[in-house]
Amino acid sequence: MTRSSSGGVSLSGISKHYGAVRALDDVSLEVAPGELIALLGPSGCGKTTLLRSVAGLEKPDSGRVVIGGRDVTQDPARKRPIGMVFQSYVLFPNMTIRDNVGFPLRMRGASSDAVRKRADELLALVGLSEQADRYPHQVSGGQQQRGALARALAPEPEVLLLDEPLSALDALVRVRLRDEIRRIQQMVKITALYVTHDQAEAMAIADRVAVMNAGKIEQLDAPAALYDEPATSFSAGFVGNRNALELPVVNGVVRLGEALTANAPAGSGGRVVAFFRPEDVHVGQGGEAATIENVSFQGLLTRLHLSVPTGGEPARLWADLPSRNAAGLQVGGSVPVRIDANHVRIFPAE
Amino acid sequence: MVHLGRIGRWAFFAFIALYLAIPMVAVILYSFSARWTSNILPDAYTLAHWGEAFRDERMRNAFWRTTWMAIAVLLLDIVLVVPAVYWQRVRNPKIRVFAELSAAIPFVLPFIVIAFGILKFMGRSAPQMLGTPLIILLSHAAIAFPFLYWAVDGAMAAANVGRLNEAAVVCGASPLQTLRHVILPNISSGLAAGGMLVFATSFGEFALVQILAGSRFENISLYSLDLLLNTTSQVELMAVLTILMFVVLFGISVAVVYLNRGREGGFLPGSRALVTEKNE
Repeated sequence: MTRSSSGGVSLSGISKHYGAVRALDDVSLEVAPGELIALLGPSGCGKTTLLRSVAGLEKPDSGRVVIGGRDVTQDPARKRPIGMVFQSYVLFPNMTIRDNVGFPLRMRGASSDAVRKRADELLALVGLSEQADRYPHQVSGGQQQRGALARALAPEPEVLLLDEPLSALDALVRVRLRDEIRRIQQMVKITALYVTHDQAEAMAIADRVAVMNAGKIEQLDAPAALYDEPATSFSAGFVGNRNALELPVVNGVVRLGEALTANAPAGSGGRVVAFFRPEDVHVGQGGEAATIENVSFQGLLTRLHLSVPTGGEPARLWADLPSRNAAGLQVGGSVPVRIDANHVRIFPAE
Repeated sequence: MVHLGRIGRWAFFAFIALYLAIPMVAVILYSFSARWTSNILPDAYTLAHWGEAFRDERMRNAFWRTTWMAIAVLLLDIVLVVPAVYWQRVRNPKIRVFAELSAAIPFVLPFIVIAFGILKFMGRSAPQMLGTPLIILLSHAAIAFPFLYWAVDGAMAAANVGRLNEAAVVCGASPLQTLRHVILPNISSGLAAGGMLVFATSFGEFALVQILAGSRFENISLYSLDLLLNTTSQVELMAVLTILMFVVLFGISVAVVYLNRGREGGFLPGSRALVTEKNE
């Protein structure tokens, strides 16, 4: 079942406009053979357009798409060495799951024995052997998506493209299938591009994550690096569920009462935005008194919504602390808070 | 809200069924009647008219001519309409306006007006085509295609043909392979419903055949008219003919309804199993 590592993907200078709207703005990206890169961003950031440009379903205005060392920019989608999984599965309703998986091979003229053998191999790989003779509407959404994954892998493509493959599934199935996709991708050693707007999904599945905004890649990094060291205010705001406080800079220092004191980066101007994660807000260990506005028990952690006086409009932030330390904290109460300056990322306010 | 009881519902259904059936029953009885005077039922019965009808070569020819013309019109419309609607949906939505306008013309212009328009046009540009089966084929295909267009367009929308097409394309299918293996099987219910209407339109059409071909292409409608106008008045024979036409069209309708019954996916294989599962 395993195969030799597939080729990489090289995108250079990809731009795409829809009328006056710039969907992709000179995007370049190198995906190493066998690597899975997640394209992460909000709706309209261009991540799906980029994926579809690789697939050949969109024609970029400019730029080059190279897959496995071959320039496929001018090739139609059906000639590209790709397999694609869609958000809404898009299995062919008139075919059984097995026939769906064998379809790409039949279109390439493979013998019926070879088609069946390969389809059965892949169905076993994705755990669908027992549903092989069912029609798509006779299996669950998760099973349909497994079938779609098997179909995409059937012709042994150089690159696997996944367009929000889990977003139509419920939460439990989503997590299970996410891990399955990663397991299979690593087992097959196939290069993959994975579009998602779910940062947790991107972090969990990808070797590297490309955060996209307004048609550009804002940051491309390994999940841990992206989480710890966001390079731009957009990355910081989009990844990691961070607090974002706009604060003044006085004599090169950013201050939030006794809760935070940090040096402003050079050239910051008069105001900055400080990003910090809720787990980096220390509660009950000195600092500035904050009012508890809400207490939300979330199992292992308890989330506190806090209000810190600033002299003007109070700064609102949230803190996560182990639930065992949250006993006795009540709405309306006051607790000292301190923000770990070492984990605060500060960017000039826009 | 008026609630009819079980008996009320059956009575209402029986009334409607009777209302629709009486004319047909009367025609059937008439085709078997040896003599029918002032009674509610015929005075005597005979199979003579049926025998005479089947022995009548002119009638057999008209029936055969009408049938193959309807089949040819149906095939031509399928060949023209399905790829065009597919192309419009997956590649060039701009041609939709043109297609919809064309599809509206036969609904807003009486067939007789269209017939005279074609007569005028062909009389000038290709008079040798007048009176030929080809002109009947082309003109019937033109007036009947909207029935197929709307049915196929609706079926393609319901099947989300755009997504199916993309999935087929990334699987390496050519446009022809996509159409054959993916699109056509998934629009089969719309194709069957629209196809039946196209067949029926050509099968029972009178104005265009009368004006463009006349006796040079005598179809069932022209033959029926001739029977009516005949001074010897072979009305019983016409009753037989009417029943035969009804049986053909009703048979096709029943086949379409039977194959398409109660299924989300129309003719799709496995949909019957789906219905069964849902009912369990």
